[in-house]
Amino acid sequence: MPEIVSREARLSLLERMLLMRRFEEAVIHAAAKHKYIGRNHLYIGHEGTGAAVMAQLKPGDLAHTTHRNHGHIVGRGADPGRALAEIMGREGGLCGGRGGTWHMTDTSVGFQSTSAMVGGSIGLATGGGFACKQLGQGNVSVALFGDGVLDEGISYEAFNFASQYSLPILFMCENNEKPGRRETSMLAADRLLDIPKALKIHTMTVDGGDVEAVHAAVGEALARIRKDQVPVFIESQIEAWPGSHQHKPEFTTGETDISMAWDTGKITGPHADWIRQEPILRYVRKLLAEKAAAQADIEALDKKVQAKMAKARDFAEASPFPQAEGAILGAFA
Amino acid sequence: MTEKTFAQAMFDALSISMEQDPTISVFGASSFVLGRGLPPADEKAFIAKYTTRLLDPPVSENVLASVGVGSATAGLRPFINFGTSSFAFEAHNQIVNEAGNARYMSGGQLKVPLVYHMFHGIRGIGGAQHSQSPQSMYANCPGLEVVLPATPADAKGLMRTAIRSDNPTLFITHTKLLATKGEVPDGDYAIPFAKGEVKRAGKDVTIVAMSLMVLEALKAADQLKALGIDAEVVDPRTVVPFDAKVVIDSVKKTGRLVILEEASLVCSVASEIAAIVAEQAFEALKGPIIRVGRPHVPMPYSPSLEAFCTPDAAKLVDAVRKLLKK
Ligand SMILES: Cc1ncc(C[n+]2csc(CCOP(=O)(O)OP(=O)(O)O)c2C)c(N)n1
Ligand SMILES: [Mg+2]
Repeated sequence: MPEIVSREARLSLLERMLLMRRFEEAVIHAAAKHKYIGRNHLYIGHEGTGAAVMAQLKPGDLAHTTHRNHGHIVGRGADPGRALAEIMGREGGLCGGRGGTWHMTDTSVGFQSTSAMVGGSIGLATGGGFACKQLGQGNVSVALFGDGVLDEGISYEAFNFASQYSLPILFMCENNEKPGRRETSMLAADRLLDIPKALKIHTMTVDGGDVEAVHAAVGEALARIRKDQVPVFIESQIEAWPGSHQHKPEFTTGETDISMAWDTGKITGPHADWIRQEPILRYVRKLLAEKAAAQADIEALDKKVQAKMAKARDFAEASPFPQAEGAILGAFA
Repeated sequence: MTEKTFAQAMFDALSISMEQDPTISVFGASSFVLGRGLPPADEKAFIAKYTTRLLDPPVSENVLASVGVGSATAGLRPFINFGTSSFAFEAHNQIVNEAGNARYMSGGQLKVPLVYHMFHGIRGIGGAQHSQSPQSMYANCPGLEVVLPATPADAKGLMRTAIRSDNPTLFITHTKLLATKGEVPDGDYAIPFAKGEVKRAGKDVTIVAMSLMVLEALKAADQLKALGIDAEVVDPRTVVPFDAKVVIDSVKKTGRLVILEEASLVCSVASEIAAIVAEQAFEALKGPIIRVGRPHVPMPYSPSLEAFCTPDAAKLVDAVRKLLKK
């Protein structure tokens, strides 16, 4: 699959990553300000994976995700104001405040579901893949999930099912496991890939901190899925954000300062190692080194994203809580 | 009208539905109604016609239930047969957390037009793991429709509604009903949900029952007649949504209510019906509401133990006689 070469495509990829990052920063700020806001699982540090996937899905493709979903949703094109409003439980949210952070859906952009059950997205995406195949319109279904999903029995069933019926599914695993530090899975197999491989699913591994590498892998996988109508499993290896704890993230690395990409002296403190290699700064450095963009271009792009998020925040803050009586409606068609 | 078996009536509804709607796929087709006494030529033609829409998936109830939700929200109308209802417990998370919740938690963006079919009940030597009646477990979960037909005609009409419903529907039938016969209207028709039926009119006592228990209730009503008790048998047909009116109207007429339920009575459908009547028609009651069901133990295997634990016409007759002091 072609690497991305055009300057526009590269900057658009960076913009997607920045939107994901600035969105999560807005979530952290809103959580500090308001009592009721779900912010348990943030996407910081994962942007290289989500942006590479979302940049390459076509209209009609179906995305299904897991608890670490904010980046996926806004990366696919859901309105960040409505996404933030949903997390804040507001009427103007994507799901009218009925879903919240753990159940965001935006069918208008092909974002089918978020399941907060570890293993939820993998089964639903398998159903999406079955539908894509039966409806025969060339669409693919994507499951986004963490390494923990391989602990769940349904992953085995889903791989077996998808493989048996040759379904067009991208199994996109974001592996942020850090043995000894952040253990989100316990697999007796040597590698995650061994499980889908045993069920005859084509597998790939990629450095999740390198967005263009993920882009190339996902591009190759999607081409194969569309052409051969088969599932593909990608493991994206992610250096977990130090602020990411199971239930209460801490803003340990502070707000992203994009100039750290060229002014590396600014990177200090206990998490300097993580900041140095985090996917956004890393990509900015690459674009600068390859002269795809100048510092001013990067700063302008970041400003544009921040302005978009400022609007999003205003929208979410202004949106009222839903009318309480409405709670009893909507369980059935 | 043509006399047909329950299995054949369900097959007819499925055939009509699949003919009309190409988005219907059946998972677990061969353990559903196929091989259960259908005319062999019909069965063969059906299988040949729908090669890509009849699937016999791996023994993976968990992912299967989830495939149902994922494909339903993407535009299909899957029909998923789990076989014995206890197998669906493997898929409980998917049915409750995904199917039942999807519409509400997406703020109405998603619809989940799927049918989960399963066989419930005490079938004889099924032991603890093949005799479950899980209807109240599903009824307790918002977003799920729960249907329990008792006759071939009801099975056909309710299945047409279940397949066309935009909600996830648990279509729960009893293995012992499959070979029972009854008059079934020819052609296409649908019976709406939340529309119960008085299966036998009477004035002395209301007996509410569903699924196989309707047949036991009718047997009991015949025996009670000989004792001078005129029982009315009401079949609500669907647990969710529920036709409270058909039950309450009957209780207002008879003043007495006995509910026959095949499951354990703890938090059962019978308990729910008793609560509804106590709340909404208390003043119509001339005596306590009585529930007849299986004791709260795992279903034993030995025939003598199983028979003791199985709710039936005889136990119902005893309960009614005690209530009416006759
Ligand atoms: C079925 C189920 N069991 C347990 C949990 C609690 N839980 C929430 S997040 C999480 C860890 C998941 O790890 P992983 O899938 O690797 O995702 P990560 O948070 O690392 O991105 C667990 C166990 C859950 N949500 N669902
Ligand atoms: Mg993980």
